[in-house]
Amino acid sequence: MSVRQSDVMKEAPCTNQSLSNYLWDDAPDENKWADCVHCGMCLESCPTYEQTGQEQHSPRGRVHLIKSVAEGKLEVNEQFMDPVNQCLDCRACTTACPADVDVGGLIEEARGQIRQAMPLKGWKGRLSKFFLEDLFPHHNRLHTFGGVLKFYQKSGMQKLVRHTGLINVMPNHLVEMESIMPEVKVPVRQKFKDEKVIKAKKEEKGTVAFLTGCIMDVMFSDINESTINVLTHNGNNVTIPEQQTCCGALHVHAGDRKTGRKLAKQNIEAFKDADKVIVNAAGCGCMIKDYPELFREDPEWKEKAEEFSAKVEDVSKYLHDTGYEKPRSEINTRLTYHDACHLAHGQGIREEPRNILLDIPGVEMVHMPNADRCCGSAGIYNITNPEMAGAVLESKMQNVPDDVEMISMGNPGCMLQMAIGARKYGRNQKVVHTIQLLDWAYQKDAQSEQGRGDD
Amino acid sequence: MPKLKTKDKHIKKLAEIVKGPNSILYLKEDLLAYDCDGFTIHKHLPKAVVFPKDTEEVAAIVKYCDANNLPFLARGAGTGLSGGAIPLNGEVIISLVRMKRLISVDTENRRAVVEPGFVNLKLTNSISDRGYYYAPDPSSQYCCTIGGNVAENAGGAHCLKYGVTTNHILGLEVVLPNGEIIEISSDGIPDAPGYDLLGILTGSEGTLGIVTKITVRILKNPEEKQTVLAYFDKVSDGSHAVSDIISAGIVPAALEMMDKIAIEAVEAAAFPVGHPKDIEALLLIEVDGVSAGIDEQINQILEVCKRRNVREVKVAQDEQERGRWWANRKTGFGAMGAISPDYLVQDGVIPRSKLPEVLGRINQISEEFGLRIANIFHAGDGNLHPLVLFDAKKPGDTDKALKAGSACLKVCADVGGSITGEHGVGIEKKEEMRFIFSDEEIMAQTNVREVFNPNNLLNAGKLFPTPGRCIEMKSDVNEPLSS
Repeated sequence: MSVRQSDVMKEAPCTNQSLSNYLWDDAPDENKWADCVHCGMCLESCPTYEQTGQEQHSPRGRVHLIKSVAEGKLEVNEQFMDPVNQCLDCRACTTACPADVDVGGLIEEARGQIRQAMPLKGWKGRLSKFFLEDLFPHHNRLHTFGGVLKFYQKSGMQKLVRHTGLINVMPNHLVEMESIMPEVKVPVRQKFKDEKVIKAKKEEKGTVAFLTGCIMDVMFSDINESTINVLTHNGNNVTIPEQQTCCGALHVHAGDRKTGRKLAKQNIEAFKDADKVIVNAAGCGCMIKDYPELFREDPEWKEKAEEFSAKVEDVSKYLHDTGYEKPRSEINTRLTYHDACHLAHGQGIREEPRNILLDIPGVEMVHMPNADRCCGSAGIYNITNPEMAGAVLESKMQNVPDDVEMISMGNPGCMLQMAIGARKYGRNQKVVHTIQLLDWAYQKDAQSEQGRGDD
Repeated sequence: MPKLKTKDKHIKKLAEIVKGPNSILYLKEDLLAYDCDGFTIHKHLPKAVVFPKDTEEVAAIVKYCDANNLPFLARGAGTGLSGGAIPLNGEVIISLVRMKRLISVDTENRRAVVEPGFVNLKLTNSISDRGYYYAPDPSSQYCCTIGGNVAENAGGAHCLKYGVTTNHILGLEVVLPNGEIIEISSDGIPDAPGYDLLGILTGSEGTLGIVTKITVRILKNPEEKQTVLAYFDKVSDGSHAVSDIISAGIVPAALEMMDKIAIEAVEAAAFPVGHPKDIEALLLIEVDGVSAGIDEQINQILEVCKRRNVREVKVAQDEQERGRWWANRKTGFGAMGAISPDYLVQDGVIPRSKLPEVLGRINQISEEFGLRIANIFHAGDGNLHPLVLFDAKKPGDTDKALKAGSACLKVCADVGGSITGEHGVGIEKKEEMRFIFSDEEIMAQTNVREVFNPNNLLNAGKLFPTPGRCIEMKSDVNEPLSS
């Protein structure tokens, strides 16, 4: 061992005698890869393997590499970083794996080591720091950011940028993203700021706490509003705990587990008094159900995290389990359903949202082949790995049936990505959240009742 | 072309041959994912991995390797269980996964042409709407490639009635180890006069040539299909039931058995179906064909099971239930991960009548070596898969597992069976070839190899015993070494 290496070893917090080249705490968990017998059943489930055909970009290959670092055969370096960071974190391999190997967990732990071994530098580092540390965790700043976007859209600046060619200086994938940016409305956290409890509209079943999400509440506050409407319509009081923050998924995906833990603690505290925590973004739901994983080495918080996670439910599953009123008004549309990875693979929720859609009169559901294949959004993957994200999106769009008017799903990241896809490939499908459709049907019910009342 | 981070002249030349983006890997971190396949006991880094896009590129790579004395081998999805795709000699791996087109489907003549990297199950999925399917169904069919199936002459649960891969291959395009491209029965007409070259190449484990195009037989979907699940308190009752079903004149499409440890694993893994944990054996039986007569066969099977003291027997009520039973069975090997850190799967074949005896002897081997052995097998054709469970981290465990596996094969050979049914010999069972072949017989086979692969640069050190050990152990089998 060279002198320099041994110095590093001495400085590192882990000072055991193992061969492992993971030098920090919270290293990838040996028990997770012990289950992998290298059978290869995961290969075809992996979008990056499908695109590259290269096994270092397959779940089995990644697990092999992560294990090899622990065995001292590899170091945490750029070449190791590439396959680990190319993973979309879509967890399709977890569904395919006969032995339930938690590949997603291993990837995130490995990214934690990479982040510490090779802190992000340059513009990528600054951009990442801006979004992950300075923006997402602070809902006030997010709302301000939302305000800026709104100003951009309303003031005519958007038009100006698009018309003057200023847009041409942006990288392609950002132009694509700009082009589908939804109209920014008032976040529900602002709208319902003064209401401690948003009262159930029907006979009370109980009270649920709502995690509004950060992107969701800025970009898709109308979906948050729909979610509140649907919940209150079905007899639930809704609270929006003031102290809640970003779920930390983007941070954990990026290897910043420290911030992830900080946010997790804040959310666990913020929802301490809630009996049920409702989420409408698959990515957030999956992350906060995974909080215990972040505290593997902290028994006290692990216990709290487990208690908290047990209370978390996706809105579609919650409605399915507690019952909901079937709307009477027709929404005549042909649509198809896309399984968000973190709903289907991450939380095992597949049938519940489909059943909600089928309970709306007039909805005709067309099967999408490979509906549970990743769309390439994967948090901010489409910003950090635009090429792979684009290739994955292209193959996703090929599976969207031609003759549908809408694509329904349960995750904001997917909605942005699929909207880019629809625009890019000249499709005219409208991208909607499952809960929005249910809300629209309820609103139609209300209108027709009102209409009858007026007669 | 992006700048290469190497000064190796061979890598540079190979990079010029394969023109697609990211078509060559040569850095240790990338190569590590290719140091083994589904057989993990032996590992070795390849020199490089190249990803050709067509036959011409494959031929050019092979020519270059042959001219420069570089060992090379072909690889598909790397799901093989005997180590056939492991680069023992630091080979250049020619990965065929980017050659994954379905070239044509000809339902009238019931055949399809695929590239070698085309995934087995995708063929059935692509033609099922026309009412056709591809019969060989190895358990890894979700991800294994048809090219790999040809190399290993892969079998599967439904080979009892429909035969293994070799029975479904109608034509091949092959790149020979000198880079020459040949076509065998390219018109897809079966039983061409002359020597059966298709037969020699299918199952040659990648030692005679690299298959670049495959014409396969496709079959019409059976009119009807019924599946039975039967639980037995005694292994002997289960195995007698297997013999009775066959003796009754029924040819099931599949007749599978799992023992207690195997059941423990699949129930602990991702696709449990709720099998009772205290039974000694289960049978999964499927019959298919024209609708008339299927019910009668099912009744006969139920009768046989009852006569053999079955605890519970049921018929799948719908496609979903059948699907769950099969997913549970087909992920059986991988499921071992749920109850053991490592496993070694063996692949013996025995006469059906010897089943109870052989299982008893495998049990003794398990006790003798102190390692648990699960059994999953294609009981109908006597193809046994003892899965030796071990922990590679425990000193000596791997060695014990290898010896226990070898002992299982010895038992199979001793009762008049064979050492492999469908997984191939590869690295894993090459010494065990001696259980069934004399030195002369082995030499006769290496002589055939010499005709195709005279320099032995293509996938050397597989399939036949190592000559060094050979001389040491007995006779004079003289295997040509790469010069």
